[in-house]
Amino acid sequence: MVLIVLAAGFICALLVRYAPGALVDERELDPHLSEENLAALRAEKASDASVNANFIRYLRGAVHGDLGYSESNRAPIAALIADRAPETLRELAIGLGGAWLIGLAAAIPAGRWRNAHLYDGLSSAAAALLLSVPAAVAAYVCLLAGLTSGVVLMIVVAPKIFRFARNLIVPAYGAPHVFMARARGLSESRILFAHVLPPSAPQLLALAAASVSMAIGAAIPIEAICEVPGLGRLAWQAALARDLPVLVNVTMLVALATTVAMTLAGARPWGEERKPEATR
Amino acid sequence: MKVVRGCALVFLSLVGMAAIAPEWWTRARYDTQFRDRPDAPPSRAFPLGTDALGRDRWARLWYGTRISLTLAPAAALVSCAAAALAGGGAGWMGGFLDGALQTASDLFLSLPWFFLLLMVRAFLPLNAAPLASIALTFALLGALGWAAPARVVCAAVRRIKTSEFFFQAQAAGCRAARVLWRQLLPNVAPVLWAQFWVAVPAYILAEATLGMLGLGIAEPLPSWGGMLRELEGAPSFRQWWLFAPAVLLAAVVTSLQAILSRKEDSV
Repeated sequence: MVLIVLAAGFICALLVRYAPGALVDERELDPHLSEENLAALRAEKASDASVNANFIRYLRGAVHGDLGYSESNRAPIAALIADRAPETLRELAIGLGGAWLIGLAAAIPAGRWRNAHLYDGLSSAAAALLLSVPAAVAAYVCLLAGLTSGVVLMIVVAPKIFRFARNLIVPAYGAPHVFMARARGLSESRILFAHVLPPSAPQLLALAAASVSMAIGAAIPIEAICEVPGLGRLAWQAALARDLPVLVNVTMLVALATTVAMTLAGARPWGEERKPEATR
Repeated sequence: MKVVRGCALVFLSLVGMAAIAPEWWTRARYDTQFRDRPDAPPSRAFPLGTDALGRDRWARLWYGTRISLTLAPAAALVSCAAAALAGGGAGWMGGFLDGALQTASDLFLSLPWFFLLLMVRAFLPLNAAPLASIALTFALLGALGWAAPARVVCAAVRRIKTSEFFFQAQAAGCRAARVLWRQLLPNVAPVLWAQFWVAVPAYILAEATLGMLGLGIAEPLPSWGGMLRELEGAPSFRQWWLFAPAVLLAAVVTSLQAILSRKEDSV
């Protein structure tokens, strides 16, 4: 896990170094600068040329809480992240919590009432329609309707959870031991919690981990459109301003969050055990 | 479901035909300016009105549709080709290559897809020429979308390598090239085909989102994402015509999903 996060950071550092214009300082265009000052600027930039040295210097600083300086925001990156992370975490908590509630609540009836073809068809069609709308458009529509960014995230992620959960729960309800449990008169809630959800638990856990990744991905356009001062908006602004040090840090943070989620769920990102999702 | 898929196919065919050559049937080109009619509301001459520069939105919508519907499949083709090479090679050779592929794809998939796209796009020039921005956007989509399909292809190749017909072909003395051509490729092709159809709607949506965030195709070339940026100026739903690109995009992607469900059934 640590290796993956470090590798993500190192690749980012490589991209920063070899991005067009990486070793050029805009201040060089200033006609008032003397030759000595220009030479000093170029020497300063040339000292940044070594990717390895820079990355090691960055890691040393990171250990002491120094993540670098954002030129576009004119602030230390650690302070920027600390300021914006709570907003994103709050949004993710509302969005993911709500999305799971809606997704599961919509998926369970499709399995429970196996002859409710109309409900299954309508709910699947609604999910397909919502999945066909870009997150940014959903954010605009919700913004016009006066909804918060957390609710937008919920609306964007819920159809994905519904779709995967439905594909797990419908076959689980069709298993012979569920028919047997129903024939023996077990209550529906007991059937659900003792005989349907437990066999699907590993896949649902993997889906929970994947939903963190989905939500983080969707948070960027949503925060950008809804003007939420979170990490997604920070990443977007950094991308527009080509503030590459901010992007490296946010990348490592996001890689850490998703790999922790995957590790906790015991799933490798999009591994073979989740192949049915990948083919969808 | 057959009726739904049939309708989806007919709709996509109609959109495709309309988008092939919009210059034949639209009133203006995507960059023609009607300087006396900026920000005009919908009318008979301009069914979706004009934008702030006086350009016909209806014409721009169809030119943008052509770009999205041509280049999203092209990008999907690139990522499927990369996935076939990487995943197929790793699954066929096994050992170190297989491990390397798993590690590389772990690395790619440890980041959310859209975040990865945004990050890598930021490292490339943002003020590229319009045509270069098209190539850049869709090359990026194609290049970054290889990891998930590569894993699926790798797993498929591994499965085929342990199947009875494969052993039989080897036992019959078939050369490696013949086994590859006659046994492996025909069995991997449906998997790749399914991955292609998964990628197309995903890339259409990704381009739209990138465009809305100002990181997509550069002006004056139209794209669905670029046109959707106009929503920023929409104070309410009353300017319904600004939502036309979103409606067309959603209809196209929903239709593709309906057809995709058929592909899934067949794989």
